[in-house]
Amino acid sequence: MGERHSPAETVALIAGALALLAYALAFASPYGLRVLTVAGVYALATFGFQIVFGLGGALSLAQGAFFGVGAYVTGILGSRYGLGFEATFPLSMLVPLLLALPVGLAVLRLESHYFALATLGIAQVLHLLAVNLPELTGGSNGLAGVPAAVLFGWAVPRGLPMAGLVWGLVALGGLIGWRLARGRLGRSLAMLRDDPLAAATLGLDVGRLRLVGFGISALFAGAAGALAVHTQRVVSPEVLEFPVMVSILTIAIVGGRGRMAGAVLGAVLLLHLPEWFRFLERGYLVVYGVALLATVVLAPDGLTGLLDRIAARLFGRRPRASVEAKEPPRPQNSPDGLAVDDLRKSFGGVRAVDGVSLELRPGSITGLIGPNGSGKSTVINLLSGLERPDAGRVRLGGREVTGLRADRLARAGLARSFQAAVLPNGAGVLEAVAAARLAIDPDARTAEAHARWALDRLGVGDLAGQGCDGLPAALRRRVELARSLVRRPAVLLLDEPAAGLTDGEKAELAALLRELAQEGVAILLVEHDMGFLLPLAGRVLCLDRGRVIYDGPAGGVRRDSAVAAAYLGRAVPA
Amino acid sequence: MAALQLLVNGVALGAAYALVALGFVLVLNATSAVNFAQGDLVMAGGLLAVALAPLIPLPGIVLLPVVLALMAALGLLLALAAYLPLRRRPPVSVFISTIAVGIILQNGAAILFGPEPRAAPPLFGDDTLHIAGLAVPEQSLAIVAVAGLLIGAQQWVFARTQLGRRLRATAQDPEMARACGVPVTAMILVTFAIGAACAGAAGLLLANRYFVTPTSGGDLILKAYIAVTVGGWGSVPGAVVGALLIALFEVGVSSVLSYPVALGALYLTLLAILVLRPQGLFGEAVRRRG
Amino acid sequence: MSALLSICGLTAGYGGSSALDDVSLSLAAGETVALLGANGAGKSTLLKALLGLVPARGALYFDGADIGGLATEARVRRGIGYVPEGRRVFAGMSVRDNLEVAGLPAARDRAQDVERVFALFPDLALKSRESAWRLSGGQQQMLSLGRALMGRPRLLLLDEPSLGLSPKLADELFAAVRRIAGTGTAVLLAEQSAARALAVAPRAVLLRLGRVVGDGPAATLSDERLRETFFGG
Repeated sequence: MGERHSPAETVALIAGALALLAYALAFASPYGLRVLTVAGVYALATFGFQIVFGLGGALSLAQGAFFGVGAYVTGILGSRYGLGFEATFPLSMLVPLLLALPVGLAVLRLESHYFALATLGIAQVLHLLAVNLPELTGGSNGLAGVPAAVLFGWAVPRGLPMAGLVWGLVALGGLIGWRLARGRLGRSLAMLRDDPLAAATLGLDVGRLRLVGFGISALFAGAAGALAVHTQRVVSPEVLEFPVMVSILTIAIVGGRGRMAGAVLGAVLLLHLPEWFRFLERGYLVVYGVALLATVVLAPDGLTGLLDRIAARLFGRRPRASVEAKEPPRPQNSPDGLAVDDLRKSFGGVRAVDGVSLELRPGSITGLIGPNGSGKSTVINLLSGLERPDAGRVRLGGREVTGLRADRLARAGLARSFQAAVLPNGAGVLEAVAAARLAIDPDARTAEAHARWALDRLGVGDLAGQGCDGLPAALRRRVELARSLVRRPAVLLLDEPAAGLTDGEKAELAALLRELAQEGVAILLVEHDMGFLLPLAGRVLCLDRGRVIYDGPAGGVRRDSAVAAAYLGRAVPA
Repeated sequence: MAALQLLVNGVALGAAYALVALGFVLVLNATSAVNFAQGDLVMAGGLLAVALAPLIPLPGIVLLPVVLALMAALGLLLALAAYLPLRRRPPVSVFISTIAVGIILQNGAAILFGPEPRAAPPLFGDDTLHIAGLAVPEQSLAIVAVAGLLIGAQQWVFARTQLGRRLRATAQDPEMARACGVPVTAMILVTFAIGAACAGAAGLLLANRYFVTPTSGGDLILKAYIAVTVGGWGSVPGAVVGALLIALFEVGVSSVLSYPVALGALYLTLLAILVLRPQGLFGEAVRRRG
Repeated sequence: MSALLSICGLTAGYGGSSALDDVSLSLAAGETVALLGANGAGKSTLLKALLGLVPARGALYFDGADIGGLATEARVRRGIGYVPEGRRVFAGMSVRDNLEVAGLPAARDRAQDVERVFALFPDLALKSRESAWRLSGGQQQMLSLGRALMGRPRLLLLDEPSLGLSPKLADELFAAVRRIAGTGTAVLLAEQSAARALAVAPRAVLLRLGRVVGDGPAATLSDERLRETFFGG
């Protein structure tokens, strides 16, 4: 994921660039230069795909189509209307974007396989149009005589100059893509790819982010398509056919999902592969299929992932740059407390939550208990916006927030944790905590400084440089809590925060929660461990079959006959 | 009369599409995995029939069991190479691995057979029957009969046999199926074999009247996908009905306008359905996984 | 009396947190044992670990054989029946198919066993061709129990069978469990509703936060002890 480049990486990058340059200048035949140019074109198209698919996880099968649209825009405007590069190039980026936005709005909220299908359908429609509108597109023969790219009055000829132009744009596009990937956008996209629910509860607007990612992918594809046409000087329906999409997908996966360096590496490698398998002629894509299958099965992180691992073995894990801790400011008009009135929710006729009312005052700790299936999780899901209530009112501060989406509630000052800690595998601890600030802070660096503060505050600042994988339970819980804490919430909903902790760790957690409450946070605690909960909570609610059967001081729970009956069965006297 | 003629053609085409969609949806239910190679498996079945025809100079119906068996073996191979190693990974991994298998099949076929369209032998004969003023190609009737028989056989196995019960239990709740003593991995392999066999049969049926080229798989997977979406994701009868509807639509619009227009309209309809009614035209899919 | 099931040092956990911590216990053939504890105590995890549905470390012997390395379906075929929490009947299949799918290979044995289940739960016989999702909650629970019997188990694992049932239905269900236990099938019954479980089981094992905190005759179990198990000391 988008970390800073280490010196070793910078050296590798410069060495790679020099090697390409040396090859282009000294060794490449005109044909070799052409292959290299096309490789650059595909690298550019794949940058966009890395953002929408590699980082965002949305398998768009329209990337090839956007490439084709960009190609046709340049082809038609250049050969039919004689427009110059300065007009056709931006338009080749703009038209795919204009196509992507409405399509994205309509289909991005669909499940992933539907999204793939819908984007494939769009690609097929565009291909049909290209073949069947000969007046505009030249039909299946396409259009010849597309002019060269003209830069400041200089028509860039084929060969070395065109390769230079393309690779210059690859460098520029790669830099932009890399900055996007490691910045707020890339991290937010990765967060919602790994866990859309958690992303929403951390305040990220899933739909909007995906749309932005999809739009950016279209821009890159359109630019690449335009350059492809300037290289070939003809445009035909081939640019809209599935092999283009297959190539982009294969380049992204083989190079390494989500990595800009992977796009370049994959493009250079895969565009040269067919040259080594000449005997396969038109069937050269077999090699792509095999490479794709082998990578997905054997090396899901792709070539860049493999190189990372080799580098880690040679040089050891690189130390992350340390981050100065900074206390995140409290939100200005932070709401005071949460009030819930007569909340109801049924699933298929079963009343999961049946008229629950409760109030979380600033500075208070409220416990929510109840036997299995009594509706505790549903209550927490309703309060955090993951489910919509059938009836009832929820007010955050004085504001009516009933039925608001999870990301809006999160931005309004509410934070929640999940029963099973949902830290993203493969991410670093600092990144995972910083992810919780992505919807608030102006940039990723500030988010990391705030994350560091939260980790320090929980006494686990030294974990900042570690990965989330393989963290022991107690520390995972701590990091999870840091994710809530770092957002400076007014209301904190915790789902079984003590599960799996030792007695000592529980005591520390209890002290910390008390401290938070003293600062004015309203805390709701769902917990099974009465020994942990009862001394901590001022007030306890007990649910049974969706109804509140006890609402009072924590001290009275053990002696309440209704609670005992709900837990132990009816026959045990209180 | 013309309309009736179209209906006959549409039903014949729909019967073949139904086999494609059936194989797709069975694998989908058993594994929650989208088998993107299903269309290319159809193509492979068609070309297999083309390749076998000179070796076994007999009517297509004799080739059918051979094609079914070989395609079932290919389905097993597909499961072993592209599904089982990725079981515990996110679903998109299987989607991509089956895309990869599709690419291999498609371009492998291009190397072996070249890009020209080819025809498989007819199931029984090439004659055209004249029934009540309708000119009905023998092959159309044979397609409907054979596809109907195969779909019926599949339904019987699933409804009436212990193997079928185990396959259905695996599709509904694999973990619980294990806890009932069902060997779930074996059931998934069997499902892939059945799915590929369905595709192979469809390939043989289609490759006579409609020809087969290495790239025919692309449109077929989209049609299978559309059939399953129209019929309600995961519903087996829905997939069959969806396939028939698609074929009738395609034959109808093609006759009035043209095939490309029909295809374009089909894809646009798909997009409209996805946006407006993602649960399919016939209400909620029978998808009851926890 | 040799143990039918013996568990030694079983430890299991999800995502780093430990749900079972060094659990040891054994069951004799034909014995009925209640497994009591609050939610989160590890009852479900213990049953799933016995079946291999969650990864676990430790020794597992069933009928003298080490079953720790076997696949779930192989453990089931050795004679363990499982009634999961939430019933999990195969909703799209008929009542009869739900039973048969878990049955023995020979059709005649299966038919016999289906009749035996129908005799135990006459309600199911009336609905044998209905889809399972059309059954009421109580009937689904009967079906889930009946399905677990189809493999002719020597050990039956029941996970919260009374959850979500009305008191009357729960009574009926426990009567059925008692009858099954009476035929010599060992039963391990995980329940939150302690009173009911103790009326069926002469022995109780108490779990708290993944550990066995008590194991003994049900009669000697005091209310205070139970309360402690659920609410802490």
